[in-house]
Amino acid sequence: MQRRDFIKLTAITGTTTALASCGNPEHQLIRFIPDDELVPGVAEWKPSVCPLCAAGCGLTVRVMEADAEVVRNGEHGLVKIAAAKKLEGQPDHPINQGGLCVRGQAAIQLTYHPDRITGPLKRSGARGSGEWKPVTWDEAIAELVSQLDGIAGEPTELTCLARPRRSRRLELMTAFLRGFGAQAPLPFEVFDDNVLRRANAISFGREQLPTYDLARSRYVIGFGADFLGTWNSPVAQNAGYGAMRQGHPQTRGTFVQVEARMSLTGASADEWVPIKPGTEGVLALGLAHVILANKLRPDTAARAGGAIDGWSGGLSPYSPADVEKITGVAAKRIERLARELVEHGPAVAIVGGAPLAHTNGLFTALAVNALNGLLGAVGQPGGLSFMPQPASSSPEPPRAEPARERDSFLPPTKVLLIDGVNPVFGSRKALKARDAVLAVPFIVSFSSFIDDTSILADLILPDHSFLESWTDSLPESGAAVAVVNVSAPVMRPLHNTRATPDVLIEVAGKLKKPIALPWKTFDEMLKASMPEAAWTAAQKNGFASEKDGLKANPESRIPTTARPAMYEAPQFDGDANTYPFHFLPYASQALYDGSLAHLPWLQELPDPLTSAMWSSWVEINPATAARLNIEQGDVVEITSTQGSVRASAMIFPGIAPDVIAMPVGQGHESFTRYADKRGVNPIAILAPVAETGTGGWAWAATRVRIARVGDPDGSLIMFAGELREHPHEHETR
Amino acid sequence: MIASVAQPFRAALVAACALAAVACGTPPSPQAIASTGPVFTPARATLGEAARDFFRIRPTATQPIPFPHKTHIAKGLTCTDYCHESATKGPVAGLPSVKTCMICHDAIATDKPLIQQITNLQKSGRDLAWQRVYGYPNESHVRFNHAPHIRANVECSTCHGPIAEQTVAERNVNLTMGFCVNCHRQKNAPNDCLTCHF
Repeated sequence: MQRRDFIKLTAITGTTTALASCGNPEHQLIRFIPDDELVPGVAEWKPSVCPLCAAGCGLTVRVMEADAEVVRNGEHGLVKIAAAKKLEGQPDHPINQGGLCVRGQAAIQLTYHPDRITGPLKRSGARGSGEWKPVTWDEAIAELVSQLDGIAGEPTELTCLARPRRSRRLELMTAFLRGFGAQAPLPFEVFDDNVLRRANAISFGREQLPTYDLARSRYVIGFGADFLGTWNSPVAQNAGYGAMRQGHPQTRGTFVQVEARMSLTGASADEWVPIKPGTEGVLALGLAHVILANKLRPDTAARAGGAIDGWSGGLSPYSPADVEKITGVAAKRIERLARELVEHGPAVAIVGGAPLAHTNGLFTALAVNALNGLLGAVGQPGGLSFMPQPASSSPEPPRAEPARERDSFLPPTKVLLIDGVNPVFGSRKALKARDAVLAVPFIVSFSSFIDDTSILADLILPDHSFLESWTDSLPESGAAVAVVNVSAPVMRPLHNTRATPDVLIEVAGKLKKPIALPWKTFDEMLKASMPEAAWTAAQKNGFASEKDGLKANPESRIPTTARPAMYEAPQFDGDANTYPFHFLPYASQALYDGSLAHLPWLQELPDPLTSAMWSSWVEINPATAARLNIEQGDVVEITSTQGSVRASAMIFPGIAPDVIAMPVGQGHESFTRYADKRGVNPIAILAPVAETGTGGWAWAATRVRIARVGDPDGSLIMFAGELREHPHEHETR
Repeated sequence: MIASVAQPFRAALVAACALAAVACGTPPSPQAIASTGPVFTPARATLGEAARDFFRIRPTATQPIPFPHKTHIAKGLTCTDYCHESATKGPVAGLPSVKTCMICHDAIATDKPLIQQITNLQKSGRDLAWQRVYGYPNESHVRFNHAPHIRANVECSTCHGPIAEQTVAERNVNLTMGFCVNCHRQKNAPNDCLTCHF
């Protein structure tokens, strides 16, 4: 025998022995009898509603057979279920028209997340320790009922925190709280757009976000609004934008974006106009001045202009030369843009995001509204309009109230209900939200995940995922007709969870002094809220619109009371010498306001502009970085009057030299295995500065300083190489 | 010289032992399956599994009860009447749930011990954990759709063998690509790669 053959033989014998000595490799699990009747391998598409933002896009969900691992009667086994497998945009939906954004695509992970709370939990360790004891639903509900009975004599001590997005669910919560004798839910939203709603009430009599008819626009000028990314109704706006750019054989619509840091939207623009933060309104009036002075449009065109001081006098303080001094935008450019706006109409101006989060945000919004009035964009094709709202059949939802700077985060509270919000993560340090929540004797969370806030709860009553329960929303913008989204569960609950509205109805009936709610279940409420024909349509499509017999409210006029607004220079927290940079937090394309940081598909989504993922970064202008000896990936420290955070530097050409930007979304203390202690939270160092016109929070009005503190530490993860700049391609025209 | 012979010899021995050790692990516990469940990977869980797959060693299916196909077909039932009715509607023929058995056996042959066994199973909320006899693993990158074959009047026995003569179903036909392509050629069915590999 040759040596080589012997070696070969040894190996083969070894392998064969290994295989032969093993028994049957099939591991058998118990099978339980399925509840669903399914044709294996055949997909069924069912309607649903995307729950991730206020836009309210319609979904179709592919439902197919799957094996689920379950525990029944204490036994671990498998059962065949009808499982949601893929989300797509509902093709007939008036808002998203078949589209779905990247965040919506990832919403399916809410249902199958490995760290979902699978049943009611009662705190067993110290608050915030994350130690829980599973309890039964009967025990959990009895506990909540006894706590509520305990404060029956002082009902205002019950407080609820919820997202201020219009829905029947929120109306039910409101009815519950009012029935108990408490206040309507306190709204909590990081990026809340209340300044724009207030401005629209003053300019146009509608306290609502606008809907843009971009498909028929020929010229769009954006002021800081990331309308193709995260702002307002992004899928509807993307569809309109696509039609504007490519839907007309002869003309490609023009798009100009004005902002201090290039957003995803700005990156799509024909022309990107950097501007000093907080002066966007002045530029809008500068454009209006050129139009008025050159009699390009009759000044009577702008009813909205009445809200601006000096409008009737032709806006004399806003000549291009003056505006150049304030905004940093060249006078020649202002003249040219103004002429283009009029010549290439229909034109529309869009404002949102950071420009409205300065101390003069209301002025900026009013100025852009006035410009829209002058351009003849209001209620016209290619302009802006307001989506008719469905008539309300039940108690008025809490108005998206201008969130006045409150002295304390919570009113005096003995029992706190938390539904879908994470204020410990999403509010600035100065508000001491964590302390305020901790001071409450009994905290109940309806969260599906342990996040920064729900970890403090005494009792967690986990809600179904949106695919497992009746879901609804009343979108505020994005379509020309009134739309109500209502959808039935597309699959059975995977875990021992319960729909929060149904839990509230049950609790209402079990109180010592029961709250008389007119519905036995949430779907009964949904059915009662719309005409029969609309209900039938909603069952089929997941939404009903006016053509299904849905009634819309007659247009409501809100009296305009404000005195004309005047430009006041924006105020910033922090002295300009000590804190030389403007600090601009922005909603992350993937993680939005941080509420989606637990979804791994979104964590691993490369940011469209920087390609960074799974991490936090600080965007800094290349010239500034060179001056401060900061290189790509270096660890830098950003310090405001409120504190400091450390993250990796991202040398980013699309940002003004005196601006530092950071995406919001990372930096959770606790938010499942994918987001726990990952990156840093820029909200923590934002200053408590108020917008003067509404009292809302001016989250873009913080100044910071930046310092290099170390070499790259490997925390910045990028998908692609460096960001290239081609200076010759964007010389000022 | 001795050292140079010993070197590769020892390496081969070590590799064989390692293979044996990995392949022989105890079957994974349900918890272990649960933890690997949500992540899709084309890799095998163990080296042993990979080796078995490579050598096409298929375990013989062990069925929860010795279901007599012969008896049922002799009584005039066809394959797609109740038990595998999904075959006429979609890609997968499906394995019947105990609920399907009880459509008839609620009343028929209730005194037989096997029937009593499945009646008890249903009472306890459990289903029959059938094991597949035919079928492809995901990794083989081929898809099969029953419904068009039924519409084309291909007999079940063409691919599944003489089930009418069997008690528990046995794998008598080796479903290789050549087997599929031959039949597709004879019947003038499409032979494009994307018909099955998509």
